[in-house]
Amino acid sequence: MPELRLSVPREEDFSSRLRGPEVASRVGLWLGICFAVAFLTGLYSHLAQAAYPVLPLPVRPAWLYRVTQGVHVAAGTAAVPLLLVKLWTVYPKLFVRPPRQRRALLLHGLERGSLGVLVAGAVFQLATGLANASQWYPWTFSFRATHYAVAWLTIGALVVHIGVKLPAITRGLRTDVDDISRDVPGPAASPGLSRRGVLRTTWVAAGLAVLTTAGSSVPLLRRVSVFGVRSGDGPMGVPVNKSARAAGVTASALAVDYALTLSTGDEVRRLSRAELEQLPQRTAVLPIACVEGWSATGTWTGVRVRDLVTLVGGSPDHAVLVTSLQESGPFRQTRLPAGFVADEDTLLALRLDGEPLSVDHGYPCRLIAPNRPGVMQTKWVASLAVET
Amino acid sequence: MSVVRVVLIVLGTILGAVGAVELLAGGPRDTLAAVVWLAGGVAVHDFVLAPLVVALGVLATRLVPAWGRSPAVAAAVVLGAVTLMAVPVLGRFGARPDNPTLLDRPYIAGWLVFAGLVLGCAFGWALVRLRGGGGE
Repeated sequence: MPELRLSVPREEDFSSRLRGPEVASRVGLWLGICFAVAFLTGLYSHLAQAAYPVLPLPVRPAWLYRVTQGVHVAAGTAAVPLLLVKLWTVYPKLFVRPPRQRRALLLHGLERGSLGVLVAGAVFQLATGLANASQWYPWTFSFRATHYAVAWLTIGALVVHIGVKLPAITRGLRTDVDDISRDVPGPAASPGLSRRGVLRTTWVAAGLAVLTTAGSSVPLLRRVSVFGVRSGDGPMGVPVNKSARAAGVTASALAVDYALTLSTGDEVRRLSRAELEQLPQRTAVLPIACVEGWSATGTWTGVRVRDLVTLVGGSPDHAVLVTSLQESGPFRQTRLPAGFVADEDTLLALRLDGEPLSVDHGYPCRLIAPNRPGVMQTKWVASLAVET
Repeated sequence: MSVVRVVLIVLGTILGAVGAVELLAGGPRDTLAAVVWLAGGVAVHDFVLAPLVVALGVLATRLVPAWGRSPAVAAAVVLGAVTLMAVPVLGRFGARPDNPTLLDRPYIAGWLVFAGLVLGCAFGWALVRLRGGGGE
């Protein structure tokens, strides 16, 4: 056994022949695809949560946000094994000694710096994203704003990294994975896994990571998703994101004198829940798709928002400000753009699956519209104000 | 350096700058907290997780016979990566008494079944290799 000594290792000290550009470029390609998909779907989600989106948002198809947000979380989940293997393949590079010459040192420093941002950002995005999906917040910063900012930082560092490494990436991808002439010379030419074996193992790990979690948004996978944040069960077959107790609305939501306030400018009307029940009812099958990635389909019954708008002389061509009984919280008030107001299926729901809403699902009434993030499907609605 | 590479590096720098501006817009308190987490993630990977994996690799080459090495490595990669991914649900850190629909699965039992299946597959593969006389 060689003598053990404690010192900072050098690049040459890492003897596995499996590391190197053949594996790094292939795993990196898929990791890059996952990050690009997560970035684009994340941008869409960020846009969809804005009160005044810079682009008009599509109202249909109703399942669009459900799919984009499910894909967002799945891409991040698949990226965990990919990132771990990718970092393993290039880990010896961490110990490359910086060059002496000044110009070379500057370039080396810039490349190291961009790599530092990339690794920090990638680890940060996956760790905070996974924690957020399970509603675990062990940090003090705002999740949404910070996850959004670091997404730009990470994707920027990734694009720089691709620019810097392009020749090595194309060379790595063109080389036969198991070409032994590309082996790192060293003592570890042992009968372990081949490079192709490492790649297959990585794909299996990424696939299993998705399969064991995606059941929270893909009902077919519910039984195999042993690490899904939700089983999909809940009152009336739909899970709850935030309970009435957590929102502090139990008393006001169950108050006997509850009345919905409808308004257009000076025209104001108040309707009790019984009066809302008297209005023409419509039933729509719509998904509830949470920003945390889980989703479920519900059969909602209630009054069309456009009917309520016309009741106070408003036009469905205007946006509606929806306010909850909640006294605080970032989504206490949300803005329903005109396109959503006009849709036939946008409801002030009173019932779910034929039963009156449970208090955790938003009793006495809640908003449900096609293709909208769950946090904006306001529960415990106190008022609808038509913008004039 | 080709035009494509220069364009990528410039474009990436602009995208990253957008992120830096967004991060700073959160105010000094949030920015500082985020920087601590950003640096912490790298530190945990580079100085805890990666050395641990290297040590496990060295140990495996000494302790695991040749015919069992590939299955052992594959099982370790799959089980290690998926377990790390599942830490938030295994710990149920976000569970709330007022919301029984969140984190409502038996995660530890699920992990035991998952680990059992992965190890079972790896043992099966190792046995096949042993009978076949080892090698790839």
